[in-house]
Amino acid sequence: MLKITDLQVKVADKDIINGLNLHIKPGEVHAIMGPNGAGKSTLSYALTGRDGYQVTRGSASLDDQDLLDMEIDQRATAGLFLAFQYPVEIPGVSNMEFLKVAVDAQRLARGATKYSASEFLKLAKAACKQVNLPLSFLKRGVNEGFSGGEKKRNEIMQMIMLEPKLCILDESDSGLDIDALKIVADGINSQRDGKRSFLVITHYQRLLDYIKPDYVHVLADGKIVKSGGPELALELEAQGYSWLESYDRNAGDASE
Amino acid sequence: MSSWLADTIERAEEVNDWLSPKRKKSLSLLKDTRWPTRKTEAWRYTPVNNIERARFNVVESQGAPATDIPHLNAIDIVFIDGIYNAELSSKHFPEGLTITQLSEGNSSSWALDSFSKTKPERHFFGLINDALATQGCIIDIAADATIEQPIRIAQSFKQGTQTHTRILMRLGERASACVIEQLEGDELCFNTSFAEYQLAASAKLEHYRLAMQCADAISLGGCHFHLAEKAKLNSNLIGFGSQLSRVDYDIIHAGQFTDSKFNVIYLLDGKELFDLHSAIEHTQPNGKSEQNIRCIVADHSNAIFNGRIHIHRDAQKILAEMNNRNLLMSENAQINTKPELEIYADDVRCAHGATIAEIDKEAMFYLQSRGLSRNEAQVLLSFGFINELVDLMNNQAVAQWLRPILKQRFAAMEVS
Ligand SMILES: Nc1ncnc2c1ncn2[C@@H]1O[C@H](COP(=O)(O)OP(=O)(O)OP(=O)(O)O)[C@@H](O)[C@H]1O
Ligand SMILES: [Mg+2]
Repeated sequence: MLKITDLQVKVADKDIINGLNLHIKPGEVHAIMGPNGAGKSTLSYALTGRDGYQVTRGSASLDDQDLLDMEIDQRATAGLFLAFQYPVEIPGVSNMEFLKVAVDAQRLARGATKYSASEFLKLAKAACKQVNLPLSFLKRGVNEGFSGGEKKRNEIMQMIMLEPKLCILDESDSGLDIDALKIVADGINSQRDGKRSFLVITHYQRLLDYIKPDYVHVLADGKIVKSGGPELALELEAQGYSWLESYDRNAGDASE
Repeated sequence: MSSWLADTIERAEEVNDWLSPKRKKSLSLLKDTRWPTRKTEAWRYTPVNNIERARFNVVESQGAPATDIPHLNAIDIVFIDGIYNAELSSKHFPEGLTITQLSEGNSSSWALDSFSKTKPERHFFGLINDALATQGCIIDIAADATIEQPIRIAQSFKQGTQTHTRILMRLGERASACVIEQLEGDELCFNTSFAEYQLAASAKLEHYRLAMQCADAISLGGCHFHLAEKAKLNSNLIGFGSQLSRVDYDIIHAGQFTDSKFNVIYLLDGKELFDLHSAIEHTQPNGKSEQNIRCIVADHSNAIFNGRIHIHRDAQKILAEMNNRNLLMSENAQINTKPELEIYADDVRCAHGATIAEIDKEAMFYLQSRGLSRNEAQVLLSFGFINELVDLMNNQAVAQWLRPILKQRFAAMEVS
């Protein structure tokens, strides 16, 4: 599904990702953990094609299609989805209108017919309910005035509507209350169908209790420094990152 | 004096009809007024020399009428190339409404009396319109009449035409009506179109000026409103720029407890220019005025907004707001915005603000990351910028008709 080889990413003239390898097979759930500033969001932006995140080496492909060669929207219609760590507020553009244009674009790319207005409304309402947002949120501006947790749930709603192949969830669990965490986790689990894959970026074991990853990776200093099963998350939760032999908080600075 | 102006004055001197007494005064003012240049304050950013260069005819009409607005169910008054088209216009009017043509001759003493009464003398092309407008209509609404059907005055202009039209309207006490001025055409033409509205006490007017001439058109015009006690105005201006588009708005709050709302959307592309000068006069206490001006400029276009609020000495307890927001789609586009506040009363609340923003790159990325093309994302964001004002329109048929047209215009714009 997703294959990243020897990826190097520069941001503002600094190497942030440096020789990262990752391979996710269909249906798998991978978790990425790692200290603040390690480059987790940078990885997700490089994959989705954000301006200013310059790939200087390596490759990344989704279902054997070269991601790095595509426009932002092409990557999305090829099946890549990112739930943002900090979703953007877009006043004046209604959530509903935005979702309709987005779903239309996705269906067009897949050769499916557009939903009729009433079909679409039904799906949107169902998705809205699933993440426990009041239906009035469909009419509001995209993320406009949403609370932190509401924004995260709105991201999950979009994921449900857009039916991507690979979902990157960048800290979709942070800032959520206990009930909302369960809702988000359930939302993610409802989309697991044995084919769809997930890359879950998180700082906490708690989310992983709900969504049970197949693999856990530690990203530090721009690369994956350790990989393991779900038990690795438990160890990290108990001990933090400093015990990792290959990770030394000062290593990056010292080598410069 | 410019040769164009000399010719124009010469032509105007030959006009002889029931309005001649009024025209004479404007003509003599014209003779004393200098052709506007960049040094003329009101024309600082808007060159008018292309009027002198272009050749126009005073032709017999033969273009197509302005686009129909579906579901509007309006009383239609149609002008093609500045000439009234009886065939396409409505013939029967509801009780309380009288519409006559300027070209028919004097219909009443108020019409003669109010010609060029509300429109201030300072508007150069207004004077030209005074002198030359032999076409247009006179709309009279009786006291207490509520005209449910909107009145649509549709004007379209074709290549090479020079036209001057005038609208005169009076709303009697407590009367209410909706007027839609629609102007269309993208070929090289030259027209002046001025309208004067008199609202008697407690009258209500909902007004739209759809100034949708674009590309090569040269269009100069104005809307001038006089509000008596407790009168209420809600006006919407949609402006597409052209090689030269200028609109002067005057809203004169001449009675107590008057209320005006003025919402403006203008969208410019290519090398188009749109210049809006608004002037709100509060001469009496307890009035309220609100202006929302939203403007999107792309490519090499040029937007000018000059907003004057004048609160007279005795006009206490006034609430006047003016908000101008601009969205810049290209580095080469220009925005000149200038508030002019003259406040002589002390117990007033006057708020004004102007902002210039660019398309939000983060929002663009967010939308594109969901599968929207650059273009689709841009249309959504641009529309989001003005959406609110379209939603505020009372007339749903106009709002519905406008939405796809505005979107299409955004789709053609380039972010750079
Ligand atoms: N646009 C930018 N300009 C300059 N530096 C940047 C930019 N984006 C990211 N960085 C830097 O790159 C590094 C990695 O940032 P990133 O957001 O990827 O970290 P993260 O692993 O997601 O951290 P967190 O757990 O706090 O979300 C940080 O040091 C950050 O300051
Ligand atoms: Mg991050």
